Parts: sequence; structure tokens; C-alpha cells
Amino acid sequence: MKRSLLLLFLTAVGCAPPSHARPEGVVVVVQEQQAAWIRNFNPFNQTGGARWPSAAGVYEPLLIYNPMTGAYTPWLAETWRWVEPARVLEFTVRSGVKWSDGTPFTAHDVAQTFALLKANPALDSGGAWRILLDVTAAGDTVVFTFAAPYAPGLLEVAHTPIVPAHIWRKVAEPTTFANEEPVATGPFTEVRRFEAQVFELGRNPHYWNEAAGDDSVAALRFPAMSSNDQITLALAQGDIDWAGAFVPAVERTFEGRDPAHHDAWFPLVGDTIFLFPNTTHAPLDRPDVRKALSLAIDREKVVQVAMYDYTVPSHPTGLSDGYADWRIDPVPDTDNWVRHDPEEAARLLDQEGFKLDSDGVRRSPDGVPLSLEIATPAGWSDWVRAAQVIARDLRALGIDVTLQGRDFTAWFDRVTKGEFALTLGWAVGGPTPYRMYKGLLASEGVVDVGTAAVTNWHRFGSVTADVALDRFEQTTDPATQRAIARELQQVFLDEAPALPLFPSASWGEANTRWVTGFPSEADPYARLSPNSAPEPLLVMSRLRWRDAKAAP
Amino acid sequence: MTALLPHLVRRLGFYLLAAFAALTLNFFVPRMMPGDPATAIFARFQGKLDPAALDAMSTAFGISDAPLYTQYLDYLLNTLHGELGTSLTYFPAPVTAVIGTGLMWTVVLAGTALVIAFAAGSAIGAWAAWRRGGLLDRIAPPLLAFIGAFPYFWLAMVAVWGLGFQLGWFPVRHAYSPEVSPGWSLEFVGSAIQHAFLPAGTMIVASLGGWLLTMRNTMVGVLDTDAIRYAQARGLSPRRILWHYAVRNAMLPSLTSFGMALGFVLSGALLTEIVFGYPGQGYLLLQAVRGQDYPLLQGLFLTISLAVLAANFAVDVLTLVLDPRIRR
Repeated sequence: MKRSLLLLFLTAVGCAPPSHARPEGVVVVVQEQQAAWIRNFNPFNQTGGARWPSAAGVYEPLLIYNPMTGAYTPWLAETWRWVEPARVLEFTVRSGVKWSDGTPFTAHDVAQTFALLKANPALDSGGAWRILLDVTAAGDTVVFTFAAPYAPGLLEVAHTPIVPAHIWRKVAEPTTFANEEPVATGPFTEVRRFEAQVFELGRNPHYWNEAAGDDSVAALRFPAMSSNDQITLALAQGDIDWAGAFVPAVERTFEGRDPAHHDAWFPLVGDTIFLFPNTTHAPLDRPDVRKALSLAIDREKVVQVAMYDYTVPSHPTGLSDGYADWRIDPVPDTDNWVRHDPEEAARLLDQEGFKLDSDGVRRSPDGVPLSLEIATPAGWSDWVRAAQVIARDLRALGIDVTLQGRDFTAWFDRVTKGEFALTLGWAVGGPTPYRMYKGLLASEGVVDVGTAAVTNWHRFGSVTADVALDRFEQTTDPATQRAIARELQQVFLDEAPALPLFPSASWGEANTRWVTGFPSEADPYARLSPNSAPEPLLVMSRLRWRDAKAAP
Repeated sequence: MTALLPHLVRRLGFYLLAAFAALTLNFFVPRMMPGDPATAIFARFQGKLDPAALDAMSTAFGISDAPLYTQYLDYLLNTLHGELGTSLTYFPAPVTAVIGTGLMWTVVLAGTALVIAFAAGSAIGAWAAWRRGGLLDRIAPPLLAFIGAFPYFWLAMVAVWGLGFQLGWFPVRHAYSPEVSPGWSLEFVGSAIQHAFLPAGTMIVASLGGWLLTMRNTMVGVLDTDAIRYAQARGLSPRRILWHYAVRNAMLPSLTSFGMALGFVLSGALLTEIVFGYPGQGYLLLQAVRGQDYPLLQGLFLTISLAVLAANFAVDVLTLVLDPRIRR
């Protein structure tokens, strides 16, 4: 109700007061939704305790994976190579980089950062030491040895924020260290002010990146905003320069207010949203029943009603545009069960023995009505709307569907423990399709109902996929990886373990009235969305303050 | 005054008992919510958290598997020592620091709004009843009751959109302008007042009707009593009758509600905070519930329960002074 009310107001009358001027060189950024700031710049403290720039602006990683180009950008490491494919990885660190206190950055800092994670498992949220055996620094190189061949481990290693050994070795309790005065290599390291309502990070006086060029952007300012409505209003007023919020009817509420400067760009390179069937829950253990459910769903309607047409129906393989060159394309019609085909869905259910009864509900041969519950987190209005469309389509097919909204934590608890029939959910992405299919298909992820599963909520394992995933982990050759990824896609298409609905858009908004250099659809050098650290570093190094006289 | 003392001691004993009961409830109520803190942390990572890291975090966060009664005893001891623990959602910030971010703003904003609404509402109510059937009596109660009947959320949105966004008269977010720094400077105080205008104003407008009607209706009853008629017959001045006898008696029910409301100021004004992006306790409470943040919830509940008890005690004392009958 509240979203629609604000939307109504914003679109009702066209004129708005001009955006408030701001001090020269201060760029206003809104990424986290918080009512008040707590001072914490510990980049490993990621449960909401650390401020967003900690891993995106303050500390930097060795490489940054850029989903818009599909490649790694060298960052604190100048080059990297596999010494032994998928097993021994070597980085050469960048020369001439200094910490913000003027101390030179070395390969030793990298090795010590990983030693810190090993000594403090609570900081190692990505589980780097589950795959690593050893990290050693020699000269300007760092060598990572994996416990077993594991090519996808490149991402874990490359994206770990690197912290200065000379500061952190003096920290007695790194887990509870709030790191209020960060010493780091990133472009913005100096805490100029820190209040509950707003904080500012000034430029690192020793920043290494030549591309960052002039220092016309003096600071980033972070006002605390706790709701999407507040952010939408501030964007409409031109009071935010860079944000990553979901904005309803963005052409009218934001872009139309200042077409020359306001730009929203929501590329579909995010992870896919799925409808997960619990494969331990009969009759969802049968592939043809799952395919029938999928064929009954009108995904065009789902994205229109639930997502304001910001996204499109999923590719049959569940891979978003970020993996365009990995996909089987086109998928033959016989394998495509994400199309909308209620007749085929009905035929499959008839064939499986679920015949339509006189009351409009399908029953199994022993007369049990086909009845399923869709679980959603209460209050996630887009998902709830999607679930409503799905429920309507499934009821039309003759399935007795109920919707059950639960508080987020309660919902999460049930779905990870496998206590559901159908639920909406996300898949975990990465530079390659490996992670998503590992989560969807690997037997390794299947745990008993009642035990929390990290990714495989639907509890599906395929031996064919296990073998393919194993081979994927052991190769660093892009052509071989692509061939294996196609095998995984075929398993997915044959078995329908999870029903892809639509790819997530990455929300990103920019106001170029005061500052320029943001990526856009015309200049897609990175994602505009600031929501996935460490990618925003790619954008920060390109930002330039507009010349006051030239500003319109 | 000597008669007051034993009475007050009795009341104080009752309040101590109530405080203990509140402390106990503060511990058990959060734990009755579905889910648990570890799941909440796990959920925030959306599948990107290594299970081994979760175990290590649970230990670091002090999430305990100990039996509930030992946790409860630890909690009681820590609370008595003023040790509220570490927040889980804002880890590793101590609960006191988290509560500190919004407490002052909540006290000032909601407190001021409450006092103004109570004082103005009661005064208008008293006057309306005194001049019963007069212009004020015909217009104010129905109008304010009408406005008060709107959902507060809607009222606040209209204020943000009309006065803030379209006309640009008032800022629409935050407690002060980002161009000033907190301190006792003229700019800061001016900015804070300007920023408080819409949130406080909407809170006052929305609650004015309630205070007015309570006061007016009690006044009508009091004015009908023999005591007032006797005072009029004795030829006391109308002003003295109004303020000294009628209002003083009619105040008592309103004063009790005021005491309750004053205590609950510390629970924050969630909707105001959300619509106006104003810092405060309400949003923290919401975050604590969402994150299953037991220590933060306990800390917030503690401040609220202590404030409610303290405000009630103050009202008890005040009623004692205003109403001699209770002393007997």
C-alpha cells in the first residue's frame, strides 16, 4: 500500500524543487538501507555490521570480476596465472601501491590477510580455507595452493579484501575489531565525519590508480536512509548521485524529472529467481510433474505483475544474460519447459496419473487430491505477487494451491531445512555457471530434511552432474569449461530440478548533474549498480566532478 | 506530607516487583519468536556463507546453546551490572551504542510532540466544555476527531508530498541538514527545529483529537457536579472555578494516560521515522526483530519498560498531590 501511495504522489504532479546544491566534490551515495550508522570498517565483518564501502572503496581485492565484460580486471595484482592448472595460482602484486598511511603495499600483506582468515574462521565468510592448503609470499608474488584442484576458487581468492599486515597484526581480537580508522589501499579511506545520520569518506592521499586521475571528487557522502520510499523521493529530488535501489515506475518517478541527468540502468545480469519444488515431497519427486508445473506458469504475466516489466522470463537453462555465451542457444522445443503451454502441462499430469476430477482438482490414482503450498517471505511484495500469479496458473491446471507467507527468518529456516512443497528462492551466481549448477544439481549439497542446506533447498542430486562438476573444478581451459557447462545445462533441462522464473535486474541509478563518469547502457564498462562489492571500485575510479561553470 | 511517605514506599515496592517481571518478560518474549539468531545471520548472506564460518560467528557473537535458565540467570546478572551485551545485527557494536544513535532524537521529537499535543488538546478540550455549544465546541472536536481518524501513515505521506516535496517548505528527511554538524550552534539548532517541524507536526495533529475529547468529556461531567454548582453559588470567579476546581479534577484520567504515553515515547514512533527518515528507537526495534537480535531487543525493551515504570511512578506522585482523596 505504501509504495503505491508514494508512486501516486510522485507521478501526480510534474514539477519538483531543484536538487539541493552540495559542497564541491562531495558525491552522495546510497547503497545500504539503514536508519542510523554504526562506525565499522572491518571488511570481513559482513553481517550488516560493516559499512558498505569497507569492501567497495576502502579496501581492495587482487582482481575484480566484471560481469559486463565477463573478465577479471587486474587490481592490486598486476598479473595472475595458473602455475599448475586449477591447483597452484600465482599473483604478481602491483608495484608502487601504498597504504593510506604511506607504508608500501607488498605481497606479504596478501599472504598475511589469508593467514588472518585462517586464524579467525568467523572472518572467513566465503570459506576460502575450505579450499586452500597454503598461501606463501615471495618477492612480489603470492602463490596459492589449493587443497584439491578447484578452478572456481579463483573468485574467492581474487575478491578477498586485502588488509595491511602492519596494522592488523597488532589487533588482538580481529573478529570484534570495528576498525574505526581504516588504513587501506582504496580510493576513499579517510573518515572525514561520522555521525549516526551521515558519514563521509575523503580521498586516500596515496591512491595508486592512475585512471583515478584528477582528485576532483573529494569525498563520498553517505546519508542514512532506511526505506525504498525515502530513497525514491531523494532520487526524484536529485539529492542522490548514485544509488542501487529498486525504484517503481522509474521512467516517471526518476528519469523523467531531469532527463538530461537522471539515468537508471537495470541490466539483467543478476542471479535468477526460481520456484523450487521440494523433490523429497511426492509427487514433486517426478521430473514430468515438475515440468508440468513449469509449463503451466505464465512467466510473461509474472514479470509484468511482480516485477513491473523490469525483467523478462528466464532462459530455459536458468542462466541470465551475464552468461549469454555459456548457454545452449536455442534450446530445442522438446527440452523447453519454461514456455507457457497449459495444454502440454495438463497432458503431462494426465500421463503421470493425476486426472482431473469433477470438482476441478486433480487426484492421484489412489484418490489423493494434488495439493501444494507455496511458501514466500511475508512482506517481499514482488515475490508475493509472483507467487499469486503462479498460484492462479497452477489452480487453473487443477492443483489445489495455497500461499503461505512467513516472516523472513521463519521462512528461511523452513526452506533451508526442506520443510516446504514449493517456494520462491534465489540461486547463487558467479563468473561461470558452475556455482549456480553446483547449488542446483550437486549430490554433495543434498542433506536430510530437518538439516539446513546452504543452497540445495530442493534436495536434488544427479550423479551425471556430480561427475561434470568435478571435471569443471579441474580445468582452467575456457573451451573445456564451456563444453562441461553445456552438459550441466542438459542435465538441468532433462531433470527440471528447479523452475527458473526470471533473472534479477541489478538496480542502479545515477544523477550526472554534479558528477560524471557513471557507466550506462551506452557505456557499459561496468554495472551501474553499487550493490555487488567489489565492483563499485571500477566505477569510483572514473568519477569526475563537473566543472562548476560548465554545469547546466 | 508525612502521610505520603508510607504510601510512596508501598508503591515503590510494587514498582520494583513490576520491574523484575518486565526484565523476565524482556528475556523470554524475543525467544518465543519463530527462528533463531544463527538462522537470521545465515539468511542475510543468501547462501554465500560457509557453514564453518557460521559456527565460528555464532561463537564470536555469543549465541549460546546453554539451557535457557542458565542464559536467563546470566542475563539477569549482566543487566544488573549494566551490561547489555553486543548487538548481533550491528556486530560488534555494543547495544548501548546502538540505542544511543536514536535515543536522544526519539526523546526530543516524540516527547515534545506528546507534551504539546497533551497540553493543547487538554486546554482546547477544557475550554470547549466550559463554553459548551460555543463556536469552538462545535468545530474543534469533530474536526480533530476527523483528522485523527485518518491512518497516520497517510497523513504523514500527504505532509511529505505537499509541504515537503511540492512546496519545498520543509525538509523531507533526517533530523538536521547534512551541511551542518551536531553541536550547540545556531545553525544546527535551527536546522533541527526545521527538520522536526513536519514529523512533530503530524504527530501532534494526529493525536490532538484524542486528548481533546477525553478532556472535554470528563470536563462536562465534572462541571455537572454539585461541587461546581456550590462554587458558583458561593460566587467564586469563573476563572477560579474553571482552572482551580473543574480542570484540576477533570485532569486526573488524562494525566494517567499521559503518564503511560510518556513512558512509551521511548518505543519510538516507527511510522514517523520511516516516512520522514528520522532517526529513533522505532526503526531499531524493527531491525532487532527482523534480525532476531536478542541482546538489542532486550536492551530496547529494558529502556522502554524502565521509562514506562518511571513515568507511571511520576504520575502516581503527581496524582497524589492533585487528589487528596487518594492519600487517605
